[in-house]
Amino acid sequence: MSSRVLAAAAVLGLFLPVLPAQALPAPRKIVDYDIRATLDDSRRELKGHETLRWTNPSDVPVAELKLHLYWNAFRNNRSTFFRESGGRLRGDQADEAEGFGSIDLTSMTRDGADLLPAARFESPDDGNRDDRTVLSVPLGSPVAPGETIALEIAWTSRIPRVFARAGYVRDFYMFGQWYPKVAVFEPRGRRRRAEPGWNAHQYHANSEFYADWGDYRVALTVPERYVVASAGALVKESREGGRKTLVFEQASVHDFAWSADPRFVVREDLFDPEKDLPAGELARAAKLLGRSEADLRAGFRPVKLRYYMQPDHAGQWTRYADAQKWALAWFGLYAFPYPYAQSSCVDPPEDGTGAMGMEYQTIFTGGTMRALGNWPLNGIREPEMIVIHEFGHGWWYGLVASNEFEESWMDEGINSFTEYEMMDRRYGGIARFPLGARIGSFDLGRIQTIRAREVDRLATPSWGFAPDAYGRNSYARAATAIDQIRRTLGEEAFWRAFRAWAERWRFDHPTTEDFLDAFRPAAEGKLETLFRETWYGNGTTDYAVTRVSSTEARPFEGYDDEGNRVTAPKKASGRKPPPGEKARAAKRYESVALVSRTGTIPLPVTIVLSFENGSTWRTTWDGKAPWLRLRTTYGSRLARAEVDPDRRIVLDANPWNNARYAGEKQGPSAAAKVRAYALHGVQILLSSLWLLR
Amino acid sequence: MPPRLSPLTTGLSAAITHRRLAGVLWLGLVFSALPAWVAFGPLFAPIDQGPFRESLLRGWDSWAFLSFLGVFPRETGIAFAAVGTSLVLSVLLDLLLTTGAVRVLLSGLPRPALRRTVAEGAALFRPVVWAFARYTVSLAFWIGLLVAGPVFLLGKIAGKDAAPNGALATFGLVWAVVASLAVAANVNLRFSLARIALATGQAANARGAYRAAKKVLREARPHAAGLWLFWLVLGLAIQAAFTALGVAMNPATSAGIAALVVVRQLGFWIFAMTRIGYQASLLRFAELKRPLPPLPLAHPFPPAPEEEASTAA
Ligand SMILES: [Zn+2]
Repeated sequence: MSSRVLAAAAVLGLFLPVLPAQALPAPRKIVDYDIRATLDDSRRELKGHETLRWTNPSDVPVAELKLHLYWNAFRNNRSTFFRESGGRLRGDQADEAEGFGSIDLTSMTRDGADLLPAARFESPDDGNRDDRTVLSVPLGSPVAPGETIALEIAWTSRIPRVFARAGYVRDFYMFGQWYPKVAVFEPRGRRRRAEPGWNAHQYHANSEFYADWGDYRVALTVPERYVVASAGALVKESREGGRKTLVFEQASVHDFAWSADPRFVVREDLFDPEKDLPAGELARAAKLLGRSEADLRAGFRPVKLRYYMQPDHAGQWTRYADAQKWALAWFGLYAFPYPYAQSSCVDPPEDGTGAMGMEYQTIFTGGTMRALGNWPLNGIREPEMIVIHEFGHGWWYGLVASNEFEESWMDEGINSFTEYEMMDRRYGGIARFPLGARIGSFDLGRIQTIRAREVDRLATPSWGFAPDAYGRNSYARAATAIDQIRRTLGEEAFWRAFRAWAERWRFDHPTTEDFLDAFRPAAEGKLETLFRETWYGNGTTDYAVTRVSSTEARPFEGYDDEGNRVTAPKKASGRKPPPGEKARAAKRYESVALVSRTGTIPLPVTIVLSFENGSTWRTTWDGKAPWLRLRTTYGSRLARAEVDPDRRIVLDANPWNNARYAGEKQGPSAAAKVRAYALHGVQILLSSLWLLR
Repeated sequence: MPPRLSPLTTGLSAAITHRRLAGVLWLGLVFSALPAWVAFGPLFAPIDQGPFRESLLRGWDSWAFLSFLGVFPRETGIAFAAVGTSLVLSVLLDLLLTTGAVRVLLSGLPRPALRRTVAEGAALFRPVVWAFARYTVSLAFWIGLLVAGPVFLLGKIAGKDAAPNGALATFGLVWAVVASLAVAANVNLRFSLARIALATGQAANARGAYRAAKKVLREARPHAAGLWLFWLVLGLAIQAAFTALGVAMNPATSAGIAALVVVRQLGFWIFAMTRIGYQASLLRFAELKRPLPPLPLAHPFPPAPEEEASTAA
């Protein structure tokens, strides 16, 4: 489906019947997995068997089932994933010898009937006949509405050397999207859908996932020396012949990932709301949200935290824990509290960067380097950022389960927005360096957004972006656009709508329009152009002060109403005016400031005129016209005009033209200051080289 | 230079007494930074006309920094080219002036400091540049042989499937730091002593100067390395202290900015004093190993009349 069709569908969605706007008390359980899997680490192979129970959630009979066989993305260089990515993802290159992996079904039955012969691969997105990631399985007899069927599926997987989320490196294994996983059958109205049908997409270079909720029981058999981290709670453990079998259970999730490594150093902690919910933050949230502290506190529960650390980073687990506890507190206040009893964080080794920074439900992977543990690099908050981001996906993708294939901005963008907020609030940004310099998270996202020549819309399917546009749009641009909503509505209105939206869509599958709808009542139409130009367009905006002038007002000259010719008094040269005359002839200045908006997104903006006598004059412009002239006659010269002094237009393409001075600059020069520091930097560099000779 | 003093004491006292010589090095630093300084003028001019003026006067502004790089990438690139020019200029000027400073230290005639340093440095410039070429080649060679090579080998021994940051990798890291320091000390000392050999007339060309340096270093390498390390650490400490002080000043007024520049330049001048101290230490060290012949000055400037009075005092 092209991005144009999708955008049109989303706009049309406005007029389609919408589900009742009610939050679900718990997820709808559509699937149930009972999995047994054995890891053969010497052969880099996994054999699995699952009993998949699936309930038809719609009001129509369903005759075929769609299965995701995600690991076939790594099957060969003809897969859609390889064709799109060239075997490269997030800077990680597939290993030429060991980068391939696969998943092959060895049997699939329903009530004893063999379903494999009739099953066929399909490629709904790109028609690639070599792709093996979506399997369509005719079921023999249709599944009636509400009926539950059980499939017995056995498979064998060859494990790839990790470069894209899942795989191995040495003895480290990460299993994500590793089992035959049923796609989502969307009933009428789900995600504003007009007709019921399967929503199954191939594994693309840039796509992530989408699934229905259910219960998992997973029995993993691994060589005894392995330490296993998983999404579930360990309910049983047995050992036999040098192997151990661990049984994990997790209810109400739509994903189940696990990891194994004999070198894992396990650290445990507890998020205790009594202790770990900062009082100041609770008070702030209560005020912003207009809710009582007791009300906000009520939903919190203790969460058991486990960190499966690499031995060379073991000491950094406290950084992970600090970030995760902050995220638990923050999300609990501004979205909704974490509903599960535990969370596991897997710390991949440094030669397994492909596994770093990935979200799964109730388990995620962090990412750090030994060097980041020590001065001066410990000011780089990447480990914290990754934890906040990936654990944050527990909300955006996990609990508010958007379709990551079709609307990648909804998981990555909303998640980047909350990540930036949490990073800036707790750590002052993504990096703090010695001597006071820091880099703000929102600032970093914003600069990626506004300096790009954008060609895409945010609401584009993940595989439909122009080259290099997926990452920018899904993460930074979406986060900046959401920040623009906040800056336009103000903190209170924004966070109230944001939390209401999160609560409404907890355990559910929202769409782009559901998100935008959340802010429409408070926006009163102010945001429609932003929505259209950003989510459904590639619009930009740039406010600028293009001209500032201030000249002495000339006295009246010409013919007055009576027809008399009035001439201005001659400039008295050399003669001092008597004291009284001076007061009467107090100078007045005609000042003009021209403010312009280029680009396609008008947003209300503040303009400030500052006069030489220190007085200022503030006004708001709706930004709808291409330019605005402010003209005033006042007893002081206009010194400076500035548009958006409070930095609310975060989509502003060029902030450097937002202010202008009339005439010569007065007072200390910031340019001189920066130049001096820059000179000193150069001098430090040059003179330090003396030490070498 | 009374002969009873140790190299370290000699260096310390020279650092303090030969402030003018340090001033000459500092002038060289200022001069070589000129291309960068000139380029920074137009580069930062938009700050005073734009919206970040007030906030930058207050202090660090992450958004101003990032958006500057985003909005003025070409201008920033040009400024970086100017910094490159400064770098090259600084290397050449340092060769000229430090050599001159060594000659002035030897002559015991500290004035007129600038003219004499430049003239003496110019007289020896060619062989010193050759010696410096040899220095660069040997630095690259020894770093390759003792740092990059072993680290590469350790990686090979560990193999592709070694866990990151294992014992071998950690050893490699420590080795790289220690070996780099040892190489730097050794190569630096040989170059500096070769320059002294040139300055004292014990050698006429770079090759002979290196031979002389080798002789002087023999048997007393740890002592010389200690001197190198002492002046290195002292220099770094001064750099760090003044850098921190400069950042802490964070001026918001014109007078404050001027004060910042003065304090910072004072810092570089004091730092230059440590380099004079280092050279004086090495001179004394070389002298103790091998008595120096009398020094014929290349350009024996007659002292100016008013200076006569001051030197006599
Ligand atoms: Zn993400």
